Order: sequence, then structure tokens, then C-alpha cells
Amino acid sequence: MSSQPSPLWTHTPSSVRMTGTWRSASPDYRTLPSPCLGACPVDGRIAVWVRQVKEKDYRGAWLTLADNNPFPAIAGRICHHPCESACNRQYLDETVGICSLERFVGDMALAEGWAFDKPDTERSESVAVIGGGPAGLSAAYQLRRRGYQVSLYESKDQLGGLLRYGIPAYRLEKAILDGEIQRILDLGVDVHLNAEVGDADALKALHDKHDAVYLATGASRSKALPGLDYSQPWVMDSADFLAATNAGEECTLGKRIVVIGGGSAAMDVARTARRLGREVTVLSLEPEDQLPAQRVEVDEAMEEDVTFVTGAMMQSAGANGDGLVLNCIKVNFQAGEKRGVFTIDPIDGSEFTLSADAVIPSIGQDADITRWQGVVADDGPVVGTGSDWQTATPGVFAGGDLASMDRFVTQAIGMGKQAAVEIARYIGSGEDRDTFPELTIVPYKAISSDYYPDVARHVPANTDVAGRLENFNEVQQRLEHTDALAEAERCFSCGTCIFCDNCYLYCPDMAITKLENGYEVKSDYCKGCGLCVAECPTGSVMMYEEG
Amino acid sequence: MEMIDYQDDGLFNSGHVACGGCVEALSLRVILNTVGKDAVAVVPPSCTAVICGGYPMSSVNIPVFHTTLESGAASASGVKRALMAKGKHDTTVLCIAGDGGTYDIGLQALSSAAERNEDILYICFDNEGYMNTGGQKSSSTPLNAATGSTPGGKDTRKKNLIEILAAHRIPYIATASPSHVNDLAAKVEKAKGIRGMKVIIVLIPCLPGWGVADNAAVKTARMGVESGVFPLFEVEDGVTYTMNTDGKSRPVGDYLSLQKRYRHLTDDGVAAIQSEVDQDWQRLQQRVAVG
Ligand SMILES: Cc1cc2nc3c(=O)[nH]c(=O)nc-3n(C[C@H](O)[C@H](O)[C@H](O)COP(=O)(O)OP(=O)(O)OC[C@H]3O[C@@H](n4cnc5c(N)ncnc54)[C@H](O)[C@@H]3O)c2cc1C
Ligand SMILES: Cc1ncc(C[n+]2csc(CCOP(=O)(O)OP(=O)(O)O)c2C)c(N)n1
Ligand code: SF4
Ligand code: SF4
Ligand code: SF4
Ligand SMILES: [Mg+2]
Repeated sequence: MSSQPSPLWTHTPSSVRMTGTWRSASPDYRTLPSPCLGACPVDGRIAVWVRQVKEKDYRGAWLTLADNNPFPAIAGRICHHPCESACNRQYLDETVGICSLERFVGDMALAEGWAFDKPDTERSESVAVIGGGPAGLSAAYQLRRRGYQVSLYESKDQLGGLLRYGIPAYRLEKAILDGEIQRILDLGVDVHLNAEVGDADALKALHDKHDAVYLATGASRSKALPGLDYSQPWVMDSADFLAATNAGEECTLGKRIVVIGGGSAAMDVARTARRLGREVTVLSLEPEDQLPAQRVEVDEAMEEDVTFVTGAMMQSAGANGDGLVLNCIKVNFQAGEKRGVFTIDPIDGSEFTLSADAVIPSIGQDADITRWQGVVADDGPVVGTGSDWQTATPGVFAGGDLASMDRFVTQAIGMGKQAAVEIARYIGSGEDRDTFPELTIVPYKAISSDYYPDVARHVPANTDVAGRLENFNEVQQRLEHTDALAEAERCFSCGTCIFCDNCYLYCPDMAITKLENGYEVKSDYCKGCGLCVAECPTGSVMMYEEG
Repeated sequence: MEMIDYQDDGLFNSGHVACGGCVEALSLRVILNTVGKDAVAVVPPSCTAVICGGYPMSSVNIPVFHTTLESGAASASGVKRALMAKGKHDTTVLCIAGDGGTYDIGLQALSSAAERNEDILYICFDNEGYMNTGGQKSSSTPLNAATGSTPGGKDTRKKNLIEILAAHRIPYIATASPSHVNDLAAKVEKAKGIRGMKVIIVLIPCLPGWGVADNAAVKTARMGVESGVFPLFEVEDGVTYTMNTDGKSRPVGDYLSLQKRYRHLTDDGVAAIQSEVDQDWQRLQQRVAVG
């Protein structure tokens, strides 16, 4: 009896061999926050909505934006865009123009008339929001989306806060502001205009009436410049000046205006005055390279023939014939540790004079917190709160310029959103906070940059300098449609899988399975080489030690 | 970003024994799935032979004939003729060999098959050395590269096999790279449709042989293409040259620095390679211009 000879040919697939035992580290798919998200004050899911722009899903992009911020057209114009400073693309060529893309989407939403969905269920609890600036409106929006009833109290006759009465129309067109506010009100907000909540008692009364209160009255008190007599007709505070111009009131100040201050508000005052036909000089303590205003604002002011006298201080001002004389002196300016803290040292013998007809001091705003005495802690420059934005009185929350020295519009919007989540939690919604541990932000080295050829950033055009001073039309233009698409293509989608299949197709071991909506590593076969990770263009799959 | 568009029909199995991260296995995956089921492979000793086999297991879902190192192209010719005799005219016969089995030990068989214009698709996985036997030099090893048998760097240049093949005036010759998967798949697809002798030389950065990191073989191949060290092009009928990439966009240093086999190089050594690459590139462009 002879046994069967074994066959000459192979008869078993190699897949019986478990090469996964060779591995010491394993790839893993994780959705991690992009650096831009980490830096964005409203926690904008930039990698997600920019990808939606790439795919021409503009409405989807807008909905993603609006999850965190009901004002993309506004933010796309005036946000200080810290996202761009954090963007991974800067290490390849230049940062992605996130802000101009945001405006592109925001403008499209307004043009198309896209509206927010009404809340799924209406809830009986109600919240009083005091102050109709970006912080208050953002909180009102987030609370309404969650079904809470909102009563909004605003002392002025229109909503918007500094967006309306501070920021000039040549940077933010009023129609855009109106459009984005109206969309929030269409969710059903009980708005009270000309309704100043005057003091702590009025606040307590609202607290009794509602389940919670959100205080967002801004920083309405202008800092006073020592040595300047504010009762003179030739002195006008910058907030009053901008509010009056924004309301379309006639300006009665003389021809030659000196603006005192070097921040963003001072630039707005100076450029507004230029549009009113005035000759303008900006006088700042800081030398030109340390002006607190953003560089582009200074450049645009210079383009508009604003004269800068920097590193100097006004010591006194008085009448001189028909006009004024400002007695000034050069100073050594020493910036301190924190923004806004500095020392100055006048330089003997450097005295000089400036001739002028009017002076507009623009040296910053303080929060008016004394009026809330007894309800909130009032020992700091701003209302004190916990990390949950709750003040000393349970159920009374605060945010925006009133409660923070981060004086930016999107900071206020972000604070409004965070407060809305906290208020909902306080009332008892059980909603989770969304938190991103800083450590896990996608680093540039996780991006396979070989997939991205160098492409210069697409910068939106400005209107011609010549025509600018004739009106208050917006200076910065929208990105052209094709440029917006090309700019979106520059985004690495850091940490957000784009389903390109590279990881799946580049695996020499067929150790990655495609699922309906993602991928899975077959641990039986993955040898742990990391080729999938190296060839991932977005940093969405990374190697992790097992165990 | 260009998306890869080949489809995996399961012709190559997991569980094979290529080094983790090996792009020879990756290229095999692309080629087998592009050629399809109606095919027979002939494989002389090489990493591919190891990857495909390991009796009684196979990682490849088509028949594979393991032949000797000298006779890849001759065996493939025989297999093709046998299939023709049996009426299987459309079955693709692939000969998959290493550079040792192609540039050196199998060159005679390859030249004869080319001269006879045999209807086979010959794939050379060019890892620039005898790698499955531990990394000795072959005539494909480039100038200055260190191998087990040229520890100080090889002092002659890489043999130009394309020019040898072109001299045979065969219908189709192409270079390809695992970094350019769409291009590789398109070339296999094109070759499959051509009657007669087709040769595709695929650059395979070998992890242990070249001293490349486990996750970096695709990137190394990409740098090879982009620096012009390994240009992607096609030669039809031995005379018509076509480039498949835009140009040479980076210095050779970007390619060399990813590999330990060049780590002994001085700046002069790098410059010598750059100058060789520049001259070869120029000569190639002249051929393209004439064709
Ligand atoms: C001239 C200027 C230009 C600026 N430009 C920019 C810029 O380009 N980008 C940027 O990011 N930031 C800019 N900022 C800062 C930004 O405007 C503020 O940080 C932001 O508006 C703060 O929002 P908020 O909601 O806290 O306060 P506000 O915008 O000040 O809103 C507060 C609202 O509360 C109302 N209110 C006040 N008291 C009461 C009360 N007792 N009862 C009822 N209502 C009350 C006010 O009328 C106002 O409507 C600028 C600021 C100024 C002054
Ligand atoms: C005539 C002959 N000489 C030597 C060998 C031993 N041998 C087997 S594979 C191999 C190396 C082949 O190198 P290459 O073709 O480049 O394939 P690689 O291993 O690099 O994939 C050698 C020398 C042999 N099989 N036959
Ligand atoms: S590349 Fe895109 S996702 Fe990454 S940081 Fe920049 S904008 Fe954000
Ligand atoms: S390689 Fe492509 S498909 Fe895979 S994780 Fe990265 S982005 Fe997603
Ligand atoms: S030795 Fe080189 S070519 Fe052979 S399997 Fe390993 S990496 Fe691939
Ligand atoms: Mg070899």
C-alpha cells in the first residue's frame, strides 16, 4: 500500500500565516483636532468645513460653521484669525486663507437666504440675555437652538453692540450685520430694545423671572486720558465718535484731527475721520513696530494718508488762535509682560508740538461692573467667573468684554457659546462640554506634504486706495469663486480623513479593510510598517504602541 | 491631490513574508490586480519568488511557475507557447524577475526572448542588488551605492538596460514606480493589450538592502522619480520615447539622504551623482525630442 504522493504545486493561501505577530506598533484611525481648531476662539471645525468647500458642498460648509458661530460672514471679515497663525500649511509655504474662505461661505449663505432650523423641541425654561453684542447674540442663538426660551435686553435701539457702533462700515457692511442678526432672531427671540438693565436690582428682578441670566454688556466705559479736558468741544471720545458716525450723524469736529492711541480702535477712528474729509494724525506711545493694532490695519491707514507720530506722548493741549496746540514729548516705550502693561520714559529735550482742531482719545475701554455690585464679584477689571462662566451668583453667567480681557469679536462669540452650554447644563440638560486635549493636536510632521505642491495663497483684493476715501464701502473684497476653491484645496484637512484610500491601497499586506464609512486595521496581518501612516495626506492615521 | 484608482480584486493574499513595508509586495499587488485572473506568472529566484511561495503556501491567486535564475524569459516564452498550443491565446504570461535575474544572470535569456519578440509581459523588480541573498551588488547597483560586496560604494555606474532593450526594437518598454500607482497600473494595462515582448522596470527601494526606514519606501521611490534619478517614461518600438512626469523637480540629495547605502558620501560624491543624473536626463530628453 503506497501513500498518496504530496502534490508538486502549492495548495494553501498564505493568509493562514498570521504576520501580525511581527508587529511592535499599530496604525490607528483617530479624528484629531487640527491646529487651526485648537487656536480658533469658537472651536470652528475648519478642517471639516473647508473640505466641504472643496467638495462644493457650500451649504454643508455653512452648517458646520454655524454649529459654533452664527456669524461666519462677520467673522470672515473682522476676525483676528489666530487659526491662520497656527495653520500647519505655513511650514510648507503659507498659511491657508481660512478667514477669507469663511467670508466666502458666509456671504453665500446670506445671498442664498439659508436659514437655521428651528429647534427640534421647545423647552419651557427661559434665559434672560443682557446685551445684544456678539457675546449675547451668540449665547441667545445657542440657547434657542437647544429649545430654551430667550429674552434679550439691549439698551440701544438696535442690536449688534460694537459690531454696529464700533466697527466701521468699510470693514463690516451693515447689511451683512443685519442679515446675520436677523437669521438668529428668526429662531424666535423675545427682543427688548431701548431696554437698559440699569443696576443690580434690575438684574435680580430678571434673575427671579428667568431660570438663568447671561450678562454680556461689554466694556462700555472709555478709559480717560490724563491731562485732557473732556468738557472741551474739541475733545470727543472715540467710542462716541464711532457710534455717531456709524449712526450716520454729522461730524462737527474741525479739519485737523489728532487720534491718540495705537490700537485697532484708533485705526478705525483715524480711517473713519479720513473718510469724513479730515486730515488725521495718529499719536501713539508705542514705536511703529510695536503698535498694538494689526499690521494690515496700520498699512491700510498709511495707504489712506494717515500720518503717524509714534513713540510720543501728549502732555497738554490748549487753544491756539483758531485751533489747538498739542504739547508732546518723545518717549522710550518698554512693553511689559502682559498686553496693555508697559512703562514709558519721556526723553528730555525732545519736546515738540502738533497743531490740530480736534482730539479723539482712543486708549481703550473698561468694563462697567460697579453697576452689578452685590450680584457679581467686582474686584477685578472684569466680572469674575469660574471656568463655567458662572458669576458669584448661581444662575448668573457672564461673558464677552465684560468678563474677559480677550477683546475680540470671535472670543465674545466663543464665550457666548460656552456659556450657553454651561447654562443648559445648569438648567439640567445633561449636555457634555466639548473639550480637545491640547496634546493631541495634529502636528505638521503627521501630514504627508509630498501630496501638496507649493501653491501661493489666494489673497482677496482691496478696493483702490483712490476710491476708498469717498465712501464707507468695504475695502476688502470677497474671494472670487475659483480662487476660493483653489484656496480650499490648499488645506491639509489635518486630522480629518478625506477617504482618499491611500492607507488602504498602499498597504503591501492587504491589512486594511474598507468599511462603509472608514477603515479598519486587520491585526492578524498588519506588520506595523507604518506605510499607511506615512502616505496619509491628512494625519488621520497614526502609529501607536500596542498594549 | 490625485486619487489612486486601481481596484483590488483580491489576487494577492495577506500572510506573505515580504519585509513589513516592502514596496515589491505593494507593486505585486497592483500588477496582479491590474492583469487579472487570466494569467500565469513565471518567477526566477528573487524576493518575489519568496513572497509568492513558501511551499505549500501561495500568496498569489494565479498559477506560478518557479524557474531558474538564468532562464526567466526563456521559461516564460515556453509557457506562453504551450498555452497558445492549448488554444489559450488570451492568457497573459508574466515573467517577474529581480534585477540580478534580469541585468545579469538572466540577460541572455531576456535578450533572446526580446529578439524573438515573444508575447510576454516581463516585469523587472529593480531593487538594485541581489537582495534576498543578503544584499550583494548587481550590474544594476548605481554608482557609489554601498552593498555587501561593495562596502565602500560601487565604482561603476548602473547598467542602462533600457537602451539595451531598445536596441532590440521590442514594442514596449517602460519604467514605473510604486510611488506612482496610477501610472504603474496604466502601464500594465497598456502592456497587456500589446502583442509581443513588453518589459516594465519597477524601482523598488529595498528596506534592508538600501537602508530605508520601514515606512519610507514609497517616499524614497517618489524622491527617485522627482529628482530624475529614476525618470518615468515609455519607449515604443525601441525608438519612440515619451516622458510620463513633468520634469525633474528636486536635487538628488532628497533621494540619497533617505538611504543608508549612500551615507558614506561626501559632498563631492553627491555632486558626482547629480552630474551623472543631469547628463542622463539631458540625453533622455534628446531621445524624447527625436521621437
Ligand atoms: C472700534 C473697535 C473696533 C474693533 N474691531 C475689532 C475687530 O476688527 N475684530 C475683533 O475681533 N474685535 C474688534 N473689536 C473688539 C470687539 O468689538 C469686542 O471684543 C466685542 O464686540 C465684544 O462683544 P460683547 O458682546 O462682549 O460686547 P459689545 O459688543 O460691547 O456688546 C455689548 C452690548 O450690550 C449692550 N449693553 C451695555 N450695557 C447694557 C445694559 N446695562 N443693559 C442692556 N444692554 C446693555 C450694549 O449696548 C451692546 O449692544 C473692536 C472694538 C472696538 C471698540
Ligand atoms: C545561477 C544562480 N546563481 C546564484 C543563485 C542564488 N541566488 C538566488 S536569488 C539570488 C539573487 C537574485 O537577485 P535579484 O534577481 O536581484 O532578486 P532580489 O533577491 O534582489 O529580489 C541569487 C544570487 C541562483 N539561484 N542561481
Ligand atoms: S491646513 Fe487646513 S486643517 Fe490644517 S491647520 Fe491649516 S487650515 Fe487647519
Ligand atoms: S490615507 Fe486617506 S483614507 Fe487613509 S486615513 Fe489618511 S486621509 Fe483617510
Ligand atoms: S529584502 Fe527588500 S525587496 Fe526583499 S522583501 Fe525585503 S524590502 Fe522587499
Ligand atoms: Mg534585486
